[in-house]
Amino acid sequence: MSHFMKKALATVSVLAAATGATLADDFTIGLTNGWVGSEWRTQMIEEAQAAAAAWGERGVDVEVVVQSSNVDVPGQIAHVRNFISQGVDAIIINPNSPTAFDPVFAQAASAGILVISTDAEVSSQDAIYVGIDQKGWAEASARWLAETLGGEGTVVAINGVAGHPANQMRVEGYTEVFGEYDGIEIVNEVNANWDQAQGQQAMQNLLATYPDIDGVWVQDGMAAGAWRSIMDADRVDEIAATGEIRKDFIDLWVENDFTSGASVNPPGVMASALNVAVFMLQGRELKEPADDGVYGNALYLPIPFIDGNNVAEAASALDGQPGHYSYSSSLSIEEAEALFQ
Amino acid sequence: MSGLVAQPGAGAHTGIGRIFERFPFLPAFVILIALLVLNGLFEPNSLSFGALTGLVSTYLALMLLAVAQTYVVYAADIDLSVGAILSLVNVSIIVLMQLMGGSALSVLVACFAGIGIGLACGIFNGIIVAGLRLQPIVATFATSIIFTGIALYIMPVSGIPAPSVYWRTYGGRLFDVPFVIYLAVAVAVILYVIARTRLITQLLAVGDNQQSAYQSGLPVTMTRIRGYALCGVFAALAALCITGDTASGDPLVGGAMTLNSVAAVVLGGTALSGGVGSVAGSVIGALIIGLVNSLVFFVGTPSEWQNLVQGLAILVALTVGILVSRRAGQ
Repeated sequence: MSHFMKKALATVSVLAAATGATLADDFTIGLTNGWVGSEWRTQMIEEAQAAAAAWGERGVDVEVVVQSSNVDVPGQIAHVRNFISQGVDAIIINPNSPTAFDPVFAQAASAGILVISTDAEVSSQDAIYVGIDQKGWAEASARWLAETLGGEGTVVAINGVAGHPANQMRVEGYTEVFGEYDGIEIVNEVNANWDQAQGQQAMQNLLATYPDIDGVWVQDGMAAGAWRSIMDADRVDEIAATGEIRKDFIDLWVENDFTSGASVNPPGVMASALNVAVFMLQGRELKEPADDGVYGNALYLPIPFIDGNNVAEAASALDGQPGHYSYSSSLSIEEAEALFQ
Repeated sequence: MSGLVAQPGAGAHTGIGRIFERFPFLPAFVILIALLVLNGLFEPNSLSFGALTGLVSTYLALMLLAVAQTYVVYAADIDLSVGAILSLVNVSIIVLMQLMGGSALSVLVACFAGIGIGLACGIFNGIIVAGLRLQPIVATFATSIIFTGIALYIMPVSGIPAPSVYWRTYGGRLFDVPFVIYLAVAVAVILYVIARTRLITQLLAVGDNQQSAYQSGLPVTMTRIRGYALCGVFAALAALCITGDTASGDPLVGGAMTLNSVAAVVLGGTALSGGVGSVAGSVIGALIIGLVNSLVFFVGTPSEWQNLVQGLAILVALTVGILVSRRAGQ
C-alpha cells in the first residue's frame, strides 16, 4: 500500500514539475533466473541487460536488477518477494515451475507490478508469457526431419528431463508431427537430461541397439553429443539428425557437412520480453492481446530455423564469438513497438 | 568414547559455556539477528510486516524439512530422500484433491492422506536403513529415486493447480493475522511437545553412541525406524506448506531442497555425527539460508557472482557459529 502511495505521490510531483513538458520515463525491472547450469542462461541475461541499456538512446532510463542463481522453487519465490520489497516496476522471470508462482504473482500484481515470464510458460493469469512456443519449436525440427527422410524411416528421440514442462511440450510436438507421417516409426525414446555427455552416451547405445536407424530427433546441447557418437560410428553420411545452436556445434556442422536442422530457441527471448515490458509500462496497449498457449496468456515470438540452406550464414553471424555462444535473435525496440497500438 | 571425554570438560565450563550447551542454537540465533539487521539496512522494506510474513511463508517448508532432517541426524543417520518425499506428498495431495472435487472436506482428507504417505515413506526408509542395515546416505539416495519415480508416475508433468480454498487459506488472513503466523506458532508448540518425549532422548542416545545405547538395553533398530518415521511425517508437513505457497503440484519441486535441509541442520548447530542438536537451530538455519540469499541481492551483488557469494556467506555463517560455540566452550 505504502508503495502505491509513494508512487502516486512521485507521479503527482513529477506531473507538477513537468507541466506540459514530456514526461521522463524511468523504470526499474527485476530479472530472475533460477538455474545457472548453462551458458545459454548467462547469455540470456547479458542480452537483456544490453537491451535495457539500448533504451537510453530513446531517453528512457531502464535500470535492471538481477537475481540469478541456482535455487529451488521456494528460492525463486523468494526472488520475486525480494523484488516486491524493493518496489520494482516490472519482473521478468525465467521460471523454475509453470504453476508454482500463481500466489506470489498475484501478490506482485496487487502491488502494481507487471510480471512477464519468458522461456517457459506460467499458468498465472496475473502474468503474460513472451517467448517461443516450445511445442512449435519441436514441431519445426520434427517436420524438417520427417521431410528430409522423405516421410520414410526409423527414428529415435533423445529427450531432456522427464517431468520438465518444456520437455513435455517438445515431446508432444514431435510425437504429433511424426504421427502425421505413416512411414515414420519411432523405435525408441530416451532421456539424457539435457546433458551433452549423456546425449553422447545415449546415442552410442542407440546406435548399438538399432544399427539401421535413419533419423535422430535430439534437443539442445545433447545434439552435439549425439553427433559426436554418429561421427565416431562413421555414420555421418547415412543419418539425419536435428542439431543445436551453439557456435562449437555449428562450426562442426559446416566442417563435416552434417544433414542437420535446428530450431532456434534464442537466448534473446528475455531481451524481447524486456522491450515488450517497457512499452507496457509506458501504458501502451498490445494490438493483439497475449492470449495464446495452453494458459491463454502467451505472446509467441517467431522461431528462426537453421538448416543446410542457411547454416553458413549462422556460422558467419557467430564469427568471433566464444564456442559456447548461442545463435540468437531478439525483438528490437522497433520490432517490439510494432506489436503495440 | 567421545561422550566420556566430553563429560569432565563440561564441568569446567564457564557460565556462558553452560548456556551454549543448553541452547546449542544460540550462535545461529545471533547470526539470524545480524542478517535481519543487515537486510534491513540495505532494503528497509525487507523488514516490513508483509515482507517478514512472506519470508515465513516462503521458508516454512524448508524449516519443516530441516526439522524432519534433524530427527534422523540426532541418531547419526541422514535422509537424502526428504525432498523426494516432499514432492511425492505434494503431487499426491494435489491429485487427491482434484479427484475429490476440491471441496474444503476433500482438502482436509487429502492433507491427512498426505501425512500418511509421508509416514509410510519414512517407515520404508527406516526399515531399509535400520532394519536391513544399509548405509543411510546411499540407501536414502536410492529411495529418493524411487519416491521421485512414483511422484512422476502420479503426475508426469507439473501443472495441476491446487483448489483455491487451499492456497487462499494458506496465503490469507484470519482475524487480520496472516494464516502462516498461526501455522508457525502451532509448529513451535508441536516441536516443543515432541522435544520432551522419550523418543528424542532415545534418538540422541543412539546418535551419541550406538553401541552403548544397545548395551544399556535401548531398542536401537526400532528407535532409528521411529526417527525416520517422524522425519517422513515432517517432510509431509513441509509438503503441505509448499503446496500452500505454490498452489500446484510439481513432481520435482523438492529435489533441490534436500541438501538445503542438511545445510540448515548444520547451520543450526546440530552435529551430523549425532547425539547433539536442536530443532530450533534447524528452523533458524533454514531462515539463515533464506536471509543470506536475500541479502546477497539487496547488497547489489552482480548476478554472475551471486551463487559464489551465497556459498561464501553460508560458509562464513557456519564458521562464525562454530568459532562462537568453541570459544564459549573453552
